[in-house]
Amino acid sequence: MRALALLLALLPAMPVLAQNARAELACRFTGTDFVYDCVIRLTRAGQPLSGAQVIVGADMPSMPMAHNIAPVKATPGRRPGDYEARLDLEMTGEWAIKLRLSGPLRDQLVLHYEFDEQGARPAKRRERR
Amino acid sequence: MLLDLLQNTIDGIASGATYALLAVGFTLIFGVLRRVNLSFGPAIMLGCYGATWLHLNFQSGLVVLAAATVAGAVLAGAYVERLCFAPHRSGSAIAAMVASFALWMQFEELATLVLPRHIYPFPLLHEGAPFEFLGLTLRPDTLAVLGAAVVLCTLLHRLLYRSRFGLAVRATIENPVAASLAGIDPGRVFVLVFALASAIGGIAGYFIVATHGQVTPMLGMWSTLKGLLAMMLGGLGSLPGAIAGGLALGLIEAHSQWFLGPQLRDLVAYLLLFVLLAANPAWMTRWTTSRSAS
Amino acid sequence: MDDFTLGVLTNIGLFSFLALSAYLLLLAGEMSFGQQAFFGVGAYAGGVLTALYSVPLPLAALAAMLLGALAALLVGLPTLRLKGLYFAMATLAAAEIARLLFELLRFQRSIDGELAGPDGTQGFRGIRWVFEHGVEAADFLLLIYGLLAFVLTVLLAVERSRLGATLRSIGEDPELAASLGVDVDRFKLGVAACAGALAALGGVLFAHHNTYIEPRNFDIMLGVHSLAYALIGGLGTALGPLLGVALDIGLLEGSRLFGGTRMIVFGGLVAVLLIVRPRGLLDEQLVHRFTSRTLRRR
Repeated sequence: MRALALLLALLPAMPVLAQNARAELACRFTGTDFVYDCVIRLTRAGQPLSGAQVIVGADMPSMPMAHNIAPVKATPGRRPGDYEARLDLEMTGEWAIKLRLSGPLRDQLVLHYEFDEQGARPAKRRERR
Repeated sequence: MLLDLLQNTIDGIASGATYALLAVGFTLIFGVLRRVNLSFGPAIMLGCYGATWLHLNFQSGLVVLAAATVAGAVLAGAYVERLCFAPHRSGSAIAAMVASFALWMQFEELATLVLPRHIYPFPLLHEGAPFEFLGLTLRPDTLAVLGAAVVLCTLLHRLLYRSRFGLAVRATIENPVAASLAGIDPGRVFVLVFALASAIGGIAGYFIVATHGQVTPMLGMWSTLKGLLAMMLGGLGSLPGAIAGGLALGLIEAHSQWFLGPQLRDLVAYLLLFVLLAANPAWMTRWTTSRSAS
Repeated sequence: MDDFTLGVLTNIGLFSFLALSAYLLLLAGEMSFGQQAFFGVGAYAGGVLTALYSVPLPLAALAAMLLGALAALLVGLPTLRLKGLYFAMATLAAAEIARLLFELLRFQRSIDGELAGPDGTQGFRGIRWVFEHGVEAADFLLLIYGLLAFVLTVLLAVERSRLGATLRSIGEDPELAASLGVDVDRFKLGVAACAGALAALGGVLFAHHNTYIEPRNFDIMLGVHSLAYALIGGLGTALGPLLGVALDIGLLEGSRLFGGTRMIVFGGLVAVLLIVRPRGLLDEQLVHRFTSRTLRRR
């Protein structure tokens, strides 16, 4: 019943003014396969976004549902807007990192990064084989 | 322009040769067991991974790697046969298919556990410059693959039409009950055909990775799709059809890629299959009337 | 409820729509490898409507379901005469065509100063309607299960009715059904349209849960998985596919025990299970025995 009421309530809902958050990832390979120490830099409207709860998940786009990395809660980093998390990925390759934000801003961001033995780079524009 | 067409045709036949081998493998299993084996591609991938592992740890030569690929594919195939097809011999085809899908999942995970990096280099059949001949580019490894495919198909034809084993296989395809009454053990035929199909798949797999120079876990799904596509294009259930379908697929892909670009290349192949199936020509669907496909 | 469990339950709900979609077609006697195409159609259509045109989610979902049904008819009409593996391969081809078309789909509008919309292989980001309207994760979960419960009620009612019996009879023996006066073609198309709409509904919800979709999400793996869920869970009842989904996703994401060998364990379990119960867990025999026992009058 609650779901139905929710459905009806959503019809005339006004969108809450939402400024998109943006994120960047910087990861370092710890040496253990395939654990990476990552720093997530959150900004919103150009300003660092601090005080958010960030939960980090990962999935491999080329093998959907085949891997499942336990979501990790990021801890606040040294600078405002920085969050740190240790990711234990099962293989190298392109991963879709999912950031679930709550706190001052509820949002969800998906970033594509290429992970290898050095760290992570933003995934290049995909080409067809 | 003509030169481009010729070049595409050559390239198309080259890739088509591997597709043809994959399709032959699928057709052998489908023709004899009347089942679709969804782990056919992944079993081949496992063979390729085995060879890659050997290459990484022992720097093995070409022949050893090819043998390892085939051996791996056959072993994986035997596992699939025992677990998915033998128990459902007289039962549900769908159950066998879903079981083969489950094993596909197993193989993919096994591959990534053994070799966790997303992509591995594989020694090329031939390093170095291709031939130039009358303005056409010919790669020696391509010619080797073509030659090997021709030899393989000839041997297969000999086996099926000139040997007692071949007679047993054809009899089992025609009518398993009658064959068993004539003293042929269908169970044994199934196992041997499965091994044969896996071996052919293994060879196809070796050529694929040795000409592309790399191995990824995506190889499993890729070869399954290409094999199924080629088998269907050539008309389900016939070996000459499988070869024709494979070559046709290679040609279609090569020409589509040239004229329409890589994005539309796969689209054309699938569109063609869909249109052919929708049009339902007699040669494509003869297996529904005489023998049920499900 | 913690975030992780919430995520697992949400995924179970979302993929249940897809599994039920495959199940409906299986009841009508057809094996489809392509229901993921309609899942994708729903996802893209719903996403475009809410993210680019600010259409409220319920309306977008209805529109997406309509599109899913239409797409299903587009695939179903030409393939009406096909059976067995031929039909399966036709649906596979259609689904891959859909996925490749998604890769070509580039439709962007400027929203709040930046480009939003599907961008081919780069995917479609920013489907943030639920976040922009303050819908909590738990509420979304309730929405999903509310809709699922509604769908299940309808399906279970249909199963008990003459409609359900007709459907199964078409699946078992179409010629016999036709000789009894059933318009097999019209029925099959009707079922295909319903299955398409159902998958599309799942797709819309999926897109809004993830906020990001890309063509790769809707590949063959998804289709074969949904077919497998229906077949493993059993075709005796609409609860069968749900059981299949719950087993796979529950076991897959829920059990951290096996670490990197999850799929090996699960794959092995499924293969063995099918030897013991080839028609799935809740197969027709079991359901019949259960219902006849509980409904028997003394």
